[in-house]
Amino acid sequence: MGPTLILVLIMAGAALTSPRRSAQAALGRRPARDTVPRMPSEKPPRAAAAAVIGLALVALGLTSCGGGATAEQGGDLRFDAGSFPDHLDPQLSTGVEGWEAEYNTYIPLLTFQHATGRDGSNVVPGLAKDLPAISADGRTYSLQLQQGLRYSDGTPVKASDFRRAVERLFDLDSGGAPLYAGIVGAAQYRAGEASSISGIEADDATGAITIRLTRPDGEFEDKLALPFTAPVPPDTPAKDQTADPPPSTGPYTISASDPPHRFVLERNPEWESANQGLVPDVPTPHADRITETVVKSRSAQTTQVEHNQADFMVDPPPPDRLLEVAWKYTDRFRTEVTLSAYYFWMNTAKPPFDDLEVRQAVNYAVNLSALERVYDTLMSPTQQVLAPGAPGYVKFTPYPHDFATARALIEEAKPSDLAITVWTDDRGPDQRAGAYLQSVLDRLGFKAKLRTVDRARYFSVIGDRRTPNLDAGLGYRIQELPHPNDLFGPLLNGDAIRRTDSTNLARFDDQALNEEMDRLAQQPLDSSTEGDYGALDQSVMEQAPWAPFGNREATTFTSDRIDFDAVIFNPVMHHDFGSFALD
Amino acid sequence: MATDPWAPPYADPTLPGEVEQDTGIPPAPAGVPVEGRSPWYLAYRRLRRNRVALFFGALFIVIVLFCLAAPLWAHLVAHTGPDTNHLTEKIDINGQPTDVVNVDGIPIGPGLHGKFLLGADANGRDVMVRLMYGGRTSIFIGVMAAFVTTILAVIFGILAAYYRGWTDAVISRAMDVIWAFPVLLLGIALGTALSVSGSGLVLGPIHIADDSIWIPILIIGFVYVPYMARPIRGEVLALREKEFVEAAIAQGAGTMRIMFSEILPNLVSTIIVFFTLNIANNMLLESALSFLGAGVRPPHSSWGSMVSDGYEFLYSAPHLTIIPGLMIVLTVLSLNVFGDGLRDALDPRAKVRLEAAALEESH
Repeated sequence: MGPTLILVLIMAGAALTSPRRSAQAALGRRPARDTVPRMPSEKPPRAAAAAVIGLALVALGLTSCGGGATAEQGGDLRFDAGSFPDHLDPQLSTGVEGWEAEYNTYIPLLTFQHATGRDGSNVVPGLAKDLPAISADGRTYSLQLQQGLRYSDGTPVKASDFRRAVERLFDLDSGGAPLYAGIVGAAQYRAGEASSISGIEADDATGAITIRLTRPDGEFEDKLALPFTAPVPPDTPAKDQTADPPPSTGPYTISASDPPHRFVLERNPEWESANQGLVPDVPTPHADRITETVVKSRSAQTTQVEHNQADFMVDPPPPDRLLEVAWKYTDRFRTEVTLSAYYFWMNTAKPPFDDLEVRQAVNYAVNLSALERVYDTLMSPTQQVLAPGAPGYVKFTPYPHDFATARALIEEAKPSDLAITVWTDDRGPDQRAGAYLQSVLDRLGFKAKLRTVDRARYFSVIGDRRTPNLDAGLGYRIQELPHPNDLFGPLLNGDAIRRTDSTNLARFDDQALNEEMDRLAQQPLDSSTEGDYGALDQSVMEQAPWAPFGNREATTFTSDRIDFDAVIFNPVMHHDFGSFALD
Repeated sequence: MATDPWAPPYADPTLPGEVEQDTGIPPAPAGVPVEGRSPWYLAYRRLRRNRVALFFGALFIVIVLFCLAAPLWAHLVAHTGPDTNHLTEKIDINGQPTDVVNVDGIPIGPGLHGKFLLGADANGRDVMVRLMYGGRTSIFIGVMAAFVTTILAVIFGILAAYYRGWTDAVISRAMDVIWAFPVLLLGIALGTALSVSGSGLVLGPIHIADDSIWIPILIIGFVYVPYMARPIRGEVLALREKEFVEAAIAQGAGTMRIMFSEILPNLVSTIIVFFTLNIANNMLLESALSFLGAGVRPPHSSWGSMVSDGYEFLYSAPHLTIIPGLMIVLTVLSLNVFGDGLRDALDPRAKVRLEAAALEESH
């Protein structure tokens, strides 16, 4: 009864201090993204606070009657991973493994809501007081840094640390730097023509931060929520700090890093005293200490989690153990659909795939359940660009599997060029997916040949116009941002067709759809633009430049000790380490 | 023949130089003129008496015939090709329609259920058909790489030993450099550079694509050259001092003629033995390279790549790894035992030398 009462009081207090976000979290709703421009002094809606109090009272009643299990605070957890994160440096890490470690350590001005599913793609304030105020022309973002924040070493957090973080991105030539190239002065700074980025104004005295963009960017709010721009102390060297991660602002700090073997997250000593109250949308984590150890064998990881020698494995169980795990441990294993697109691209710029009927025939011929098996069931079938959980997603199935229709379309199209090269990379399931497409094309009457390319070079080879026989092949993208334009812009807009490093693998260049993508890319995301993205998804698939087949699934497999239901899988940042609690 | 226990060691008939030649032919009765026999006939007679070698030689032929029959099996029995996917199809097992690959991605195993005699792989491809086609690839690579090794080793071995001097120094040191690398590491390095990196191989006007089967053939053929060139060099060093070479020189024969018309025919038995044993080594190296992704590139299947493909399913579908693995073992074993038999038949003194060395070592 005691802890429940405290919980109720905390929820009620949180609702009154940060009413809009807590209410939305409690109700499982996204915060409205259509309030543009947002003003920092927005008044709290009292109805939402009342709803939270109401829900909290309901919770009180339920727990009083039934005595529901509550997660324990504290404890040491051990996680296993197949590889060490690419970097443990917020400005450098581009991989999910790194972001999982950074989600609760390096807090940007904005952050992604600590929630599973669609809610997890909502942007909420991080170190900033509120969401940014965006100017009418969509080019200026104004934010206010919370005053009184401290890094884990006790250094005060200043507004200029944000600018330093963005500059450090360019100093390090980080993979994340291109995302911020639209800030005024970023190009000059990168070229060494300016000593700082002129488009970022930071006032350390007031905490005011103003960011000016060269052109409106509908994804910019999401970009501000990535760890790339998380402030770090101003004396952080402009070199990779993975072995000695910089002090953090979040509830955890990386207390030890021994690449490529292990790293340790421990509670940030400054969190409770300084930051916790100022960053209400980042929950205080449960465990005192999390040690992530590299265990190369996924089978060994699985065995350790099975026997409670490890509490969680970052990677999925290996294919030959997956069935056993899914069947035996229904109470501590589940799959999570990621924001990703797996598809077969067809080169729309040359025969035979310049013919719409041929492309549609391939879509009809590809059997999604076959590819689900190829990817060891960790592929959620789809025939559209947007993934479930992405803003604007509306499920539709434009080409239900029908081989007879596919054959009829091919007979009608009578393609003259029957020799097709199918491209894929050399990773096990990807190679098998390529072999499957080759087999499907052969059945349709083509003479398909499979080309496999080393995974590290795959996208540079197929993105190079000089590579001969770029007919069709496997493409995939794990979204960095939950924004729909993260798929449409780089993968389907004609502007993304380049001589080298082309990301529009289908060479799809539809003038009307390009204009629509450009228009939407500059709009802030609201219910109207979300609807437009849904319509764009359908319009693109009518042209069938791809044969999409799935969204990759991640897995959550925990030991018996963990409160499994409390584990949060955020669609962008993936597993929220702060949500892992002893049961 | 009774052995005299007091006889001095040099009189031991099992020691080299004192051996009574085993011709495989019973001695002719007194007074009957001895019919001349060619060394090849004598070797054939000796080989015929080695039943174990013959058995394994026959086994290798059976394996080759098995692989050559791949198209027949594919068209007449399995009704599917080596690359045809059957991911969502069902077959009838004991009256029950069964998924070739179940919804969890696990393929069916071996059994007498129609076309999937040895089961299916993760793409629903018939393992029996792929095994037969893959065997053709593995054996083809083994044999062709052995040709490459033999041709290069014979040329460099003869040139080094015949000319000696700086020619020998250059060739021998180059061989030493190659020899200094572990075969597998050198193979992986070359495979990565030529095949995985996508550059392929350009030899003057000849361009070999990175996914060509000739890339592993040339890599494997190249890395084994020193292992064959060195013994050939040693043998030529002895042969060039023989009387028949001096006679050829006295008759005014040219260098090329002496090397390739006088000396080379005397190396044939050595070459044949090395060639046979080399095929087995080549097949093993091809399997290792393909397993590591630096050998045969998909969609070509080989036994090595089949082991690699099945490795992910070691617990749930062990047949994917065990069956091609067994084929590699059987083929390499048959070639090694048959190669040993050939060596005993073509060069019986080599066997005696080996046994004497083993005897000395045991003492």
